[in-house]
Amino acid sequence: MTLFVQQFFNGLSLGGVYCLAAIGLTLVFGVLRIPNLAHGALYMVGAYLTYFFLTSAGVPYILAIALAALVLAGIGIGMERVVFHPLRNAPHTHHMIAAAGAMFFLHSLVQAIWGADFRRMESPITGRVEILGTQVSWQRVTIVVTAVVVLIALTWFIKKTVHGQSIEAVEQDRVGASLVGINPNRVSMLTFALAAALVAVAAGLVAPINLLYPTMGDVIMVKVFAIIILGGLGSIPGAIVGGFTLGLAEVMATTYVSAVAGEVIAFVVLILVLAIRPTGLLTKAVQR
Amino acid sequence: MSQKSRSTLRPLIALSTVSLLALTSCGNGGGDGEGGTITIGVTGPQSGGGALYGENVEAGIRLAIAELNEQGVTIDGEEYTVEMRALDDEYQPNAAATNAQRLVEQDDASVVFVPHAGGIHAAQEINTSRSEFLIGAYSSDRQIVERGNELTFMIPPTFASYSEPFIEIFQDQGAERLGLLATASEYGQQWTSMMTQDWEDAGGEVLSNNNFDYGAVSDFASAVASALSEDPDVILVGGPSQTTALVIEEAREQGYEGGFMIMDQAKFEEMELFTDPENLNNSTGVKPVAEFDDPGTDGLIETFAEEITQERPITSETSLNFQAVALVVKAMELAGTHEDPAAIREALPEATAEVDDVFRVSGFPDVVTDEGLLISDTLEGAYRDSEGNYEYFPVEIE
Repeated sequence: MTLFVQQFFNGLSLGGVYCLAAIGLTLVFGVLRIPNLAHGALYMVGAYLTYFFLTSAGVPYILAIALAALVLAGIGIGMERVVFHPLRNAPHTHHMIAAAGAMFFLHSLVQAIWGADFRRMESPITGRVEILGTQVSWQRVTIVVTAVVVLIALTWFIKKTVHGQSIEAVEQDRVGASLVGINPNRVSMLTFALAAALVAVAAGLVAPINLLYPTMGDVIMVKVFAIIILGGLGSIPGAIVGGFTLGLAEVMATTYVSAVAGEVIAFVVLILVLAIRPTGLLTKAVQR
Repeated sequence: MSQKSRSTLRPLIALSTVSLLALTSCGNGGGDGEGGTITIGVTGPQSGGGALYGENVEAGIRLAIAELNEQGVTIDGEEYTVEMRALDDEYQPNAAATNAQRLVEQDDASVVFVPHAGGIHAAQEINTSRSEFLIGAYSSDRQIVERGNELTFMIPPTFASYSEPFIEIFQDQGAERLGLLATASEYGQQWTSMMTQDWEDAGGEVLSNNNFDYGAVSDFASAVASALSEDPDVILVGGPSQTTALVIEEAREQGYEGGFMIMDQAKFEEMELFTDPENLNNSTGVKPVAEFDDPGTDGLIETFAEEITQERPITSETSLNFQAVALVVKAMELAGTHEDPAAIREALPEATAEVDDVFRVSGFPDVVTDEGLLISDTLEGAYRDSEGNYEYFPVEIE
């Protein structure tokens, strides 16, 4: 029972990270209809920036994550302007190629600045707390709490603010949105900024329990794609449900079946969803 | 000029770029006028997840070459300059074979260093047929020399050599239950199946296999927790040093107090930088380079810090390749040729005694077997006791 409770918390924290990373990807897909293959690389840059602010600049942990998110938002806007905006009328394959290019560029850039070495980011949040008779590290509690807070803030932003509503409007109907005066350019930039900021938060949270290296984003990238296909491409609630489902499924499969099963489960779920309900669990109608 | 449209300019630019490239590559490949050039080929990961590993291997080769050139290399009365030519294979076996072929045919390399088992295997498919070249194989899986490839020499000690002394140390302490938490790469699986067999043969019990791919998992906690739930006395871990350190730390944080057998890929000196060294207490592993008393050890540590980096300690990935380059160039001198791989291979055993002391760093080979194993009679493994002190024990290479 203790093992179950402990693994449940491990699953929740992993799910929280997956969730934050997946929402960005699904937002970009919802608004621009492109699978941003460079999303994992943005995650990696987010982790390195958090590391930089925390270790080299000496900023407190949570603030370091916030600063990294801010810088990443800028990089996200830059990416939209430089890479995707010029391709807005090009065929879909061009977006994929451009995104892959952006990914390799970011890998090499980070390797040139920080080197290929593994880096360890020490979190100032140490120690453990007893929950339901099991020891859970404060870092994991922080991950879950921050993920929930960010998710609530995001929902409020999308539902209650003008900018957020404009994102949702474009997601639902691009032509209709521009007819009522929403500037699709601005929405595209805003979406990229938001997606990049969210993935930076995910990376900043997970960095202390993992290692930093230039290709660290590749690992999470595959999982995150599985999540948004599971949840339904473009659906935010889908990304949230999918993220936590996959996090928990992975951990439980590792515990009760085998570690290999834990690694495979994402793809088993992916194949099942594609076979039984190819539009995903919580889908909105995807146009085009 | 401005009248010309872009479309006419483009081919011109392309042409001039191509010719420039051709010119520069000529400069690299050709001799320098005085004396000849010996090219040592390297194919290893320069980008992607294995980039750091590739860098460490290349560093050893580069430092050896610099030292050799300073001392002067004379083959058959003629002076030579040694050069390294390194290509990126991103850890891909196919790319390694293609690179090796390129290094041999375009750069006239007769020796190619390959630092990963998959690449070595792929290179062994081609090195005795179409274009002959000698493989400097840096990987500790014994299969490399068991395939009967005549133009291969294996640089590191086989990992099987560590099995017996590791088991002895823990079973002397009364350990019975062995947990498995190694990386799930091919190398990790081979280590695991060897250790499973040997541990059971020695009368111990092997618990369920919780190996997972150290490079592809974002959170180690769950695999560690399920391994610990079976209450092991000692756990087999290992993969890249840095990830291994995190796995060990996670186990300690979850309350594990037993020992660790650390596979030879992970190095104590690197792990100490990534986790509180106390977590590593009661573990067996590879002896740190700095702890060897060979004549060249201190010199290489110093050059590594000056020329390569001060941010990380030198490991055997660098030191063993450093030694191997010196050995192979000495063999060229003795064979009187830098072009005939078979003659160079044949001269390797004799060369072991002739290599200058500067190149004897961490268990320099005393013997090169017919199979191509480099055997050092003074190799040792390390045990870090429960107080954090290192003890060394002899390891017989087999």
